[in-house]
Amino acid sequence: MHIDYYPGCTIKTSARQYETSALAVLHALDVQSREMEQWNCCGVVHSLATDNLIRHVAPIRVLTRLQQQGGTELVTLCDMCYNTLAQANLLVQRQPDKGEAINGFIADDQTYGGQVDVLHLLQILRDRIGFQAIKRRVICPLKGLTVFPYYGCKLLRPRAVGIDDAETPSILRDLMQALGATVVDDPIQTCCCGSYHVVNRDAIVAGQVTKIAARAQLQGADIIVLSCPLCHFNLDTHQPRPTDGGQRLPVLYYTQLIGLAFGLPWETLGLDAHHIDPFPLLQHQHSVPLEGERV
Amino acid sequence: MTTPQPDLITMQFMGKNYQVPSGLTIMAAIEYAGYKLVRGSGCRAGFCGACPTIYHKGESHKLYTALACQTLVEDQMCLVQVPFVPVARKRYVMDALQPTPNIILQYYPEIAGCVACNTCTRACPQGIQVMDYIQAALRGDIQRTAELSFDCISCGICSSRCPSDIKHYPVGQLARRIYGKYILPRSQHLADRVSELAAGAYQDEMTTLMHLSLEDLKVRYEQRVFEPVVGQNDEHNAVRQWGSPVDPVDFQDDPQAILSTGA
Amino acid sequence: MELINGYPAYMRESIVKVEQTRPARLYATFPAMSLDERKVLLTHFHPDFKEDQKRPLAFGPSQGMFINHELADLLEARPLIPSHLDVSRVDYEVDVLIIGGGGAGTVAALWSVEAGIDPQRILIATKLRHGDSNSTMAQGGIQAADRPTDSPVMHYLDAMGGGHFTNRPELVQALVMDAPGIIQWHESLGVMYDKDAEGNFVVHPGGGTSRNRMHSARDYTGLEIMRVIRDEARNRAIPVIEFAPAIELLMDDHSHVAGAVLLNLETRRYRIVKAHATILATGGLGRLHMQQYPTTNHYGATADGLVLAYRVGAHLTDLDAIQYHPTGAAFPAQMAGLLITEKVRGLGAQPVNRNGDMFVFPLEPRDVEASAFIRECYERELGITTPLGMRGIWLDAPMVDILHGPGTIQTALPAMFRMYQRFGIDMTRDPILVFPTLHYQNGGIVADAHGATTVPGLFVAGEVMGGIHGKNRLMGNSLLDFNVFGKRAGIAAAAYARQTTPGNLTLAHIDAYEQMLRAAGVDRDRTAPRLLPDYRGREALERYLDIPL
Repeated sequence: MHIDYYPGCTIKTSARQYETSALAVLHALDVQSREMEQWNCCGVVHSLATDNLIRHVAPIRVLTRLQQQGGTELVTLCDMCYNTLAQANLLVQRQPDKGEAINGFIADDQTYGGQVDVLHLLQILRDRIGFQAIKRRVICPLKGLTVFPYYGCKLLRPRAVGIDDAETPSILRDLMQALGATVVDDPIQTCCCGSYHVVNRDAIVAGQVTKIAARAQLQGADIIVLSCPLCHFNLDTHQPRPTDGGQRLPVLYYTQLIGLAFGLPWETLGLDAHHIDPFPLLQHQHSVPLEGERV
Repeated sequence: MTTPQPDLITMQFMGKNYQVPSGLTIMAAIEYAGYKLVRGSGCRAGFCGACPTIYHKGESHKLYTALACQTLVEDQMCLVQVPFVPVARKRYVMDALQPTPNIILQYYPEIAGCVACNTCTRACPQGIQVMDYIQAALRGDIQRTAELSFDCISCGICSSRCPSDIKHYPVGQLARRIYGKYILPRSQHLADRVSELAAGAYQDEMTTLMHLSLEDLKVRYEQRVFEPVVGQNDEHNAVRQWGSPVDPVDFQDDPQAILSTGA
Repeated sequence: MELINGYPAYMRESIVKVEQTRPARLYATFPAMSLDERKVLLTHFHPDFKEDQKRPLAFGPSQGMFINHELADLLEARPLIPSHLDVSRVDYEVDVLIIGGGGAGTVAALWSVEAGIDPQRILIATKLRHGDSNSTMAQGGIQAADRPTDSPVMHYLDAMGGGHFTNRPELVQALVMDAPGIIQWHESLGVMYDKDAEGNFVVHPGGGTSRNRMHSARDYTGLEIMRVIRDEARNRAIPVIEFAPAIELLMDDHSHVAGAVLLNLETRRYRIVKAHATILATGGLGRLHMQQYPTTNHYGATADGLVLAYRVGAHLTDLDAIQYHPTGAAFPAQMAGLLITEKVRGLGAQPVNRNGDMFVFPLEPRDVEASAFIRECYERELGITTPLGMRGIWLDAPMVDILHGPGTIQTALPAMFRMYQRFGIDMTRDPILVFPTLHYQNGGIVADAHGATTVPGLFVAGEVMGGIHGKNRLMGNSLLDFNVFGKRAGIAAAAYARQTTPGNLTLAHIDAYEQMLRAAGVDRDRTAPRLLPDYRGREALERYLDIPL
């Protein structure tokens, strides 16, 4: 299997561990991945938040370039990029007059009519590879880890681009269970982390993250798993220390947990790049072997 | 062989029509029409960015940008020169900069407003992928920013057309300096040579050389052994032909000595 | 005029002949000339040997120097301003005034700051924009003996021999000994020299140099250095005033140079700059178009600094030796005069005439080669004339890829390949048209190894300075020259500025100069400095009315 993937800006700067772990996992699953050439920033907030048509040029240009490179499907890692690209794609598909205006502005040799499919890596894992196949590759099941899947917003809303049910999603639970972990849920798992408010009103983010972490603790989780670099940043940097003296919950990407369960080399998983150090938990639980050990 | 005379064509400069011979550059055509350029002429060879020009052709609505010294005038061209694009560049102290991925965003935060419209790339007379180097700067890839922007001559046409008012060429300049200073490794043998010289190396040899008689100096000169160049044994190699890798020096050198070592 | 792959039809006819003769020419050579043959050729055809194109300078410290009429006309000319011009109201008072905003001027400014001068006490006055200069256009590279297999001693020998041993030894010593330090300074500024993964410079051979010590930044070495130093000058907030050439130097009542009169080229308003020390960094003279040769130089290269310096009594040297480069591009118009590196011939391309016949050994010394091309076009009339009237001969570039393998030109000469491609010409398939072009002012104003001229308060740096290269400059030494002597002049001027305060400003030297003009019987209608060349169409000039507006 081969996929073209779109990293996005954050993956290349502050969320590098997501990329290295994802690439390692894909390699272990015999999936060949190619970073698309000449990609540009998808624009995220600019693109989603305004009606100004020029703001959709950035994501459409990404898709146009992929089309020029002969690609028909683009896989993203970042939830925000996924959402932006998918919504821009819908715009072109459903409002052809706007699509025409954008194409006229871009004025490239090829016009873009929405022929590229935008997918999130989780969809590839669930729908193309299948969690059963993933389960078969697990050599160190995540026994002893109680995982709280956190979805945030961008993977699920609006429904037109959501990859799972927006009220009661199950994709991360199913994946974690396939890895052998214990999973606990809570309705707060689809509540917003505060997103870009972290830039200049981080009290809002602190408030949200406190609530989310508290509920996860209450449900008995000892680790949070997610897919969005912005959620990751917020949960990793704004979690307060619990008042009862307990530990903060480490926050990992799903690809890092898959990597652990596959027994992949720890250098590829970027586990030392987190604010809240996951090592004490991972070693204490001994549910995952120290590097070099085999189950 | 008779040389055909060039045809006359019509050029509109700042709204006035002039008949000029075809085959001239825009710059030469403007001068032919009687203008003595003060602004808008620099190296006249495509290196310095002094002569940005905006034009359209005949009835077409499309606006083009180009360098006046590198573009031939065409019939029905309607043009204006833009010898200056006001660009706000930031001041920085290179020695105090931390070459972190976000450094460029820190100095030029407006690059986050890039909508990937590619207007800058289309405007660039050097064929640079301007938008792509701004995108590289945005995600902190300083090396890529430096390499993609290298051919920039700072004409400013890109910045004059950008809907987000990005200052492209100062961004490229900062990235290239950071790359050259912090990312490219320093040359060890250069550092060694500078230390040697500071400690007095070569002083005595130089003094001796400077006091040689003309005859003795010429002898030393002719005794030089040339460092081999790739392709030394090639028949057409200049070293074999002339004892000099590329460009022989002028006639007043005694050629007998050099010819005797050649083929 | 219709172009077929970049060339008009009638030039294509000639190209066909070149293609026809090529197979026989591929492994043939043309015999090199004997010494006598060379002498004859040079005497009859080289621009520097045309007795009637030169005359001895009529007066002044360098009286008798045999120089081109175009330059003599400027030195033997009246000032643009009268000596009674009011200079009492001073517009700028500075420690160091730098006239010229190219490489040398900018380096001088940076080092004056390093030497302790407050940037606000420096002024760079430039005729065009800051950075407009010949420095920007240098492509080949910069020499420095920094490798273990090389030494400044070898560099010294190369430069002295290249200059026909007429260089001033102490200046060459400064040049070669300072060179490694200059490159290191550039590293610390962030100049993107070509390097390998370990940081070693990628170095190239240069004409007449025994070691491969040309450092380069792709094809834009001069541009890269210039834009970095200009960026740094901006960071230091060194004041620059553009489009404000100096039209006369000022002296004080102790016969020191004490500043200059600047002219705003757009408003024609003059400004008085009073300076403790003044550095002339005005560059070359290509735009004087000696004997109507095209030039590689930028628009402002009109020998202004030579005129200004001569007026205050400075000495000049080696101005009888202007460097002509045999291969300047003759077509298309966008490239007229632009340097075509000798590397092309070094790789095997033969010069041929319009019939496709060889007429000279491809690698004669530069001035012999140039003379041969001139003879072919003007005496034998076997050149090709472009639609705009320029003559040239073919350089059979396609031979390079044939001899060395496809892709050689694109790897060895990427910038040139790209430039021709831009104008629709594929130099791997078609020959290119060339003719000698005026390239560099080998000589200039006499100064010591610190850039101090014989006139107190006046310093020089860069192409305008003489004595470094003797009668002939080696490639890669001019980029080095502006850095080494820009730095030295900047430091020396700073020291001088701290020790000296200018007295009362005067233009009395203008009166003295005019007297010399009168005594020499010189035509007194000419004025200088020239400031800008005139390319206005003949037809437009014929109908020009000099009406005040």
